[in-house]
Amino acid sequence: MRAHLTARPADLTVRAARKPAVAVDVAGLRKSYGEVQAVRGVSFTVEHGEIFALLGPNGAGKTTTLEILEGFRARDAGQVSVLGADPGDRANGRALREQIGLVLQDIAVEPYLTVRETIARNAGYYPEPRDVDEVIALVDLAGQQRQKVRNLSGGQKRRLDLALGMIGNPSLLFLDEPTTGFDPNARHGAWEIVRNLRDAGTTILLTTHYMDEAQELADRVAVITGGQIVAEGTPSTIGGRDTARTRIRFALPDGCAVAELPPGAVPGDGLVTVQTQEPTKTLHQLTDWALRRGTVLTRLTVDRPSLEDVYLRLTDHGAPASTMDRSTR
Amino acid sequence: MSIATHRVRRHDLALLWHQIRYEQLSFWRNPQSAFFTFVFPVVMITIFGALFGRVKAGSYFYGLSALQYYVPTIAAVSVLGACYSQLAIVLSMRRQNGILKRVRGTPLPAWAYFVGLLAHCVMVSVTDVALIVGVGAAFGVPLPTHWTAIAVALVLGAASFCALGVAVASLIRNSEAAPPVVQLILFPLVFISGTYLPIHSAMLNRISGALPVRPFNEALLGPFAQHTGFDWHNLGVLLAWGAAGAFVAVRRFRWNPRPE
Ligand SMILES: Nc1ncnc2c1ncn2[C@@H]1O[C@H](COP(=O)(O)OP(=O)(O)O)[C@@H](O)[C@H]1O
Ligand SMILES: [Mg+2]
Repeated sequence: MRAHLTARPADLTVRAARKPAVAVDVAGLRKSYGEVQAVRGVSFTVEHGEIFALLGPNGAGKTTTLEILEGFRARDAGQVSVLGADPGDRANGRALREQIGLVLQDIAVEPYLTVRETIARNAGYYPEPRDVDEVIALVDLAGQQRQKVRNLSGGQKRRLDLALGMIGNPSLLFLDEPTTGFDPNARHGAWEIVRNLRDAGTTILLTTHYMDEAQELADRVAVITGGQIVAEGTPSTIGGRDTARTRIRFALPDGCAVAELPPGAVPGDGLVTVQTQEPTKTLHQLTDWALRRGTVLTRLTVDRPSLEDVYLRLTDHGAPASTMDRSTR
Repeated sequence: MSIATHRVRRHDLALLWHQIRYEQLSFWRNPQSAFFTFVFPVVMITIFGALFGRVKAGSYFYGLSALQYYVPTIAAVSVLGACYSQLAIVLSMRRQNGILKRVRGTPLPAWAYFVGLLAHCVMVSVTDVALIVGVGAAFGVPLPTHWTAIAVALVLGAASFCALGVAVASLIRNSEAAPPVVQLILFPLVFISGTYLPIHSAMLNRISGALPVRPFNEALLGPFAQHTGFDWHNLGVLLAWGAAGAFVAVRRFRWNPRPE
């Protein structure tokens, strides 16, 4: 081990010299604020080079988890490793912050500097920053670069925040609800930026309460609610989406009595639902039944549970975690 | 192996210089605040000059002319404003709106951030004092001769009151409370320390002599007007207060707007 290390040039990058197996490793993390248990035994890992999303409603404990990883908050229990270091240990602070970038939930930028000056100032804090012009172009603020920050719109300030998160050329980027308050165009723009960063090798850990954001962006998702992770997987497999039964639905045909429906068909509010593990066969039988009767299956759909269905089921139909917390105490 | 992949830690002095430059830039970019920072002490000493410019030396001012007395005390109070008041208020505001937290998220070391602020406060203090001495000279106050003693008292005073400003910012929870709390501490202190009216009560002077403002006044009055040099006793008291402020600041300073 020692021989191996001393064989390298002395000033070789810290990053390369001891790159840990995973970018982020969290095990049994707990944090309470007085009576409120914000994080109750959270465990997950983030692999190098992936986009990992913590998806959950307001009050789920996303920001608390992220801020512990960023070194802003002390944890009550559990193990945390960020790029191989413990963010709770002050001795690691500077070296760690040289390698991570962050976009906090609340926008905070000094009002009187221009966009360009703000980015150039932060660039000077890092040992190997990205090019200021390149970053300005990436977040699409070239037209505003000589404006004072206080004259920017909310969305532009958020993009400036994103620029500050990436100016240090981080190997790991934390994004806390990066697109909250964006219009749809701006969101797609932000997603594009995040994807490009990932493709260039940056590991990204983001939080969101938007299902489409997790679906669009994340390589892996963990659903968090009430301070606990209730499901984890890729956006297409999470919550058993891939193995869940297919759902076939159609409108109850006019003049068709419930008793006449094929076996397994359950009438609901205006739509008849058939759940099946064998969609090809079931669909065949169903259309066969309809053709023979001469009825038209209007509003026919075949689908799997959407991420939204899974999310709503997992997070108790979207009930805010905080009210759940209180009612169970 | 290309140079670009080597991580060379930016020299800390270069980093400090970078921070000082940008701290200055954000100050000067807010012209209103920059204007009032310098106009206030000039207006003060001009008013005192107009009111007391003709008052001859007498025992009420310890054998000095009124303006000989007021040039150093107004200089001292301008340093208090630039260091203690400004820093306590600015830091509370920056904490409240999350700017401090954002700074903490970068690799900029805390000491560099604070030295950047200290450098700014010293710059403002020195400028204020120079303006006050200039206006005083226009009213016929003779220029001081002990410049080294003045410089030492100024820098030590600025540093100590900066430390006290950071300490008060550490103890205040929200930024709305900052200006009233800062004034509430400062106003009685300035008043009993003889800044605006010489105090001839031995008891009061003994009390205020142990608090931070009067020692600073005295440390400036000597070399400014009485042709004495270093006032080691008062400089020592000032240093002790600065150390106490720094101790509280180091122990209690928070970057995060939301307490745990
Ligand atoms: N600084 C704090 N002091 C007290 N309670 C807090 C604090 N921060 C968060 N909480 C509480 O902890 C819970 C989790 O909050 P948070 O981590 O911000 O969730 P999320 O980011 O998922 O919305 C919430 O009930 C919230 O009210
Ligand atoms: Mg949050």
